[in-house]
Amino acid sequence: MKDVDGQNPSAPSDPISAWRLRAVFCFFFVGFVYVAFGLGYRQLYQSVFLTSQSDNQSQRIVILPPSRGKIFDRNGYVLVDNRVRWSIKADLLALQPEFRKEYLDLLSKEKARAPDRRPDFDHLQQTARLNVLNAWLSKIWFIIDSTNQKAAQGTAKIKSTPDLHPEERMVHADALRKHLSERRALKFPLIVDLSFPNSGQSLSVEASNRAVARFIEQFPVQGPITLEADMVRSYPNGKLAAHVLGYVRDTDVIKGELDDELEERFNNLQKLGYIGKKGAEGIEASYNESLSGHSGWERWTKTSSGYNKDRLEHQAPKQGANVNLSLDTKIQKSAEDALAKIVDSQGKPLPAAAVMLDVNTGEILALASQPSFDPNAMADRVTQAYVDTVNTEGGWLNRSIQGLYPPGSTFKLITATAGMRSKNIDWDDILDCGPSYLVGGRAFPEHEPAGYGQVDLEKMLAVSCNVWNYQVGLRTGPENLAKEARRFGLDTPLLQKPAESENAPTTELPNPATRMVVPDRAYKLRVAGQPWTDGDTANTSIGQGYLLTTPLHMACVAASIARGETRTTPSIIHDPGRDGRHAGAEPIGLTTPQLQALREGMLRCVEEGTAKSVRIPGLPYAAKTGTSEYFKNREKAHLAWIVGYAPADNPVVAFCVLVEGQLDTSTWGGKTAGPVARDMILAWQSGAEDK
Amino acid sequence: MDNNRQGAKASYVALVFFIGLWMLVPSAVRRFNREAFAEFQAPALHLVGKGRDLARYWELKSRSPEELAAASRDLARINAALELKIHTLDDARKENVRLRELLRYPSSTEFVTLVARVSVRETSSWWQRIIIRKGRSDGVVPGCPVVFGDRVIGRVSIVHLTTSEVDLVTSPSFRCTAFLEGDEQNNVVHVSGGAGLSLTAPRALVSIIPVEYNPPAGQIAKVMTTGLGGVFPAHLTLGTLESGVHSTAEKHLQEGVLTPAKELNFIQEVSVLIPKYPTAGEILLTPADNSKPEEFR
Repeated sequence: MKDVDGQNPSAPSDPISAWRLRAVFCFFFVGFVYVAFGLGYRQLYQSVFLTSQSDNQSQRIVILPPSRGKIFDRNGYVLVDNRVRWSIKADLLALQPEFRKEYLDLLSKEKARAPDRRPDFDHLQQTARLNVLNAWLSKIWFIIDSTNQKAAQGTAKIKSTPDLHPEERMVHADALRKHLSERRALKFPLIVDLSFPNSGQSLSVEASNRAVARFIEQFPVQGPITLEADMVRSYPNGKLAAHVLGYVRDTDVIKGELDDELEERFNNLQKLGYIGKKGAEGIEASYNESLSGHSGWERWTKTSSGYNKDRLEHQAPKQGANVNLSLDTKIQKSAEDALAKIVDSQGKPLPAAAVMLDVNTGEILALASQPSFDPNAMADRVTQAYVDTVNTEGGWLNRSIQGLYPPGSTFKLITATAGMRSKNIDWDDILDCGPSYLVGGRAFPEHEPAGYGQVDLEKMLAVSCNVWNYQVGLRTGPENLAKEARRFGLDTPLLQKPAESENAPTTELPNPATRMVVPDRAYKLRVAGQPWTDGDTANTSIGQGYLLTTPLHMACVAASIARGETRTTPSIIHDPGRDGRHAGAEPIGLTTPQLQALREGMLRCVEEGTAKSVRIPGLPYAAKTGTSEYFKNREKAHLAWIVGYAPADNPVVAFCVLVEGQLDTSTWGGKTAGPVARDMILAWQSGAEDK
Repeated sequence: MDNNRQGAKASYVALVFFIGLWMLVPSAVRRFNREAFAEFQAPALHLVGKGRDLARYWELKSRSPEELAAASRDLARINAALELKIHTLDDARKENVRLRELLRYPSSTEFVTLVARVSVRETSSWWQRIIIRKGRSDGVVPGCPVVFGDRVIGRVSIVHLTTSEVDLVTSPSFRCTAFLEGDEQNNVVHVSGGAGLSLTAPRALVSIIPVEYNPPAGQIAKVMTTGLGGVFPAHLTLGTLESGVHSTAEKHLQEGVLTPAKELNFIQEVSVLIPKYPTAGEILLTPADNSKPEEFR
């Protein structure tokens, strides 16, 4: 293709033109390489970074709350459950056109009203949103409230919902503002819970179901308003075992615990957490970590105005682990019902506690404390009025494990054991017990004005003779009494457990008492700055003076005597594989006749002694009553005690009941606390027969 | 060749023009067109239904006298059993009325039953929607339950003058509440259509089933209406729980698949339950202007 001159026609003949052409070619080549390199750099080298940047701007992670694990009793009966909470929510993104239309209407009205003034656009926007949401809400109420007949007649009288205040039937500006600033991505809750637990007039299950059914069947399926179900904490038995179970309260915003791989993957994405629930008291608090479960997550695209748009992927939350308690619901209920019958002169229940243990394993079958509270009232937003009421009644205190009281005559079991082990008295020794006993120039009285005469160990336990104990206590000495009390663990904190993690609770129930007092000479010198006297020894020997212990400790003493040992390790957690060994336990250290006499005395206490009013025909059991004195609001009052085990010949359960008596000192161990123990034993017997 | 190209081009232009025009016309005009089309289509739908009835008639005519005699015998037995049942029910109804009067208890919400022949199933959503030969002129309103015997077939969604469209239980736009057979706690569960996969028989989803619920041993649990929502009477059968229930991912609730009443396969006739009083939802959502099509979704 050469021309007649033999030259290439496309090649410039002018050398300058050829140079220019090369220069242009080079320029474009360099430019192309630059662009190609830049493209490669962006698309290949920086792709991860740029994708991440893009995702940061357009996606977010919504952390989903898990359901808490359930709590069961030893027989698999549900004590703490999760109930379905039906909420009605508004999709704010889908409502945008309605907001816009309402906003424009308001704006035009505002301009017509005051043409010279600049409208407050933010206020108008907020009002528009409120108007639209309230219009939807009023439709929802119309459907939920009215029966068909009433609706047709235009006289929709509210029947299926409580009489809520009109304010409670409206969307609140503050709530909407807060939602838009903090949780705009999520749907706005118009009605948080269709059973209205916080209204003070929560609906019956049927009425609540009716409200849900009416909405589901009568409201349009597609649209901006949706019905959603999630799980919330529920205590189906109300106040039953409230101190053991505890309650939950709101957490701070939880951002979720994603595993390392996901954490790295979503590192740069915005995370929207949730306000979850954490245990505040009882098992809910001490086993919070295992009950809590693991959060789930959803990855959403978001709009430029911050609303969630499309869900890209998700992982469901994992429910927390269940906890099986050692409680027996039947016994627990019988204990609480029996305690509720003990009332003061105004008919108000007296503060009291009741414990029942499995003698062999130490598992707690019942742990009741009165007054109590309803955990359901605490599960959502609790009202200040309710908190004040419980405060006034003293209902927060779990008296079974946190209340510290002088054990009174129930301590005579320890005094007798100390006396026999120190060989100051034997099981068949008889002491002369008059109406009082002179100690340090002061007459220490017998509770029976005539005295009991010739008293041996068995009779002492049956009639709860004070003078016998004064004498034995003085012979044994304060150090031996204290040593024996410590052998039985009266100064040892109970319900210890290994922590689930760092900073996690180390006790099975929160804050069991740790300041029990087993007094000796050093103790009195330390706290009172005075030397120990014989009067102190006499007081200690009958469970008075400085002695302080809890009902759970005394139940453990009874269980230990039933087994012929010194310690019982109680536990509120059910473990079918428990082997019956107890930490620090050793043989009681009495001869067989001594131990037999001790047990026989406790049996006689029920058969013919201070607890005979609560004997159970056909079921002999062993007990020791006690009526100690203490000061309540600076006035003398009685504490009524009873400890023991049943059946007497083959012990299976041990118990302790304490009642904080009235100011008129009309409270007595056998008479006041005894019926509670009897009801618990009967409940246990009935359960045992069922099995 | 050029003419063909030009013709094709003109077709595309016309298509774009009409689509654009359709998008621009007011919604009222579009709605009117749709309604007009439905009414225009109605006689054809009636004809299809009648044709099917005629085919069935001729099919039966072709049966041998022996077959017909046997069928007649069976029918007589069924009739006798039903007569007996009617008697019992009549007595029960009278007793019910007497007790209600005695206690001054208000009469329960009553429904007027309207029997309607199924005209056609919408081929675009087979199993999901049927068209019945009763409409606004017969008193049908959107939202009415549609049943066959004691089984729920669906719910009226759109009402035309002489026909109505019924969303079946398996339709994504159907939902209601239900009780499960064997659930002593009578927990309310949620039934919603649209659970079937593509190219499989449509199903409905039963959700919010408590984990404690166990289907009755050895039998398939029925799913029954609650009667709480003010739309469906209580104790009608929505279907059965197919192969039990399974836990949700979070393990705190269960869900299962509802197999609707078998009659959906060959349903020819249904009953529309027209409530004595309209529901609150219906009052709110039914357009006041009767010239517009009534729709419940």
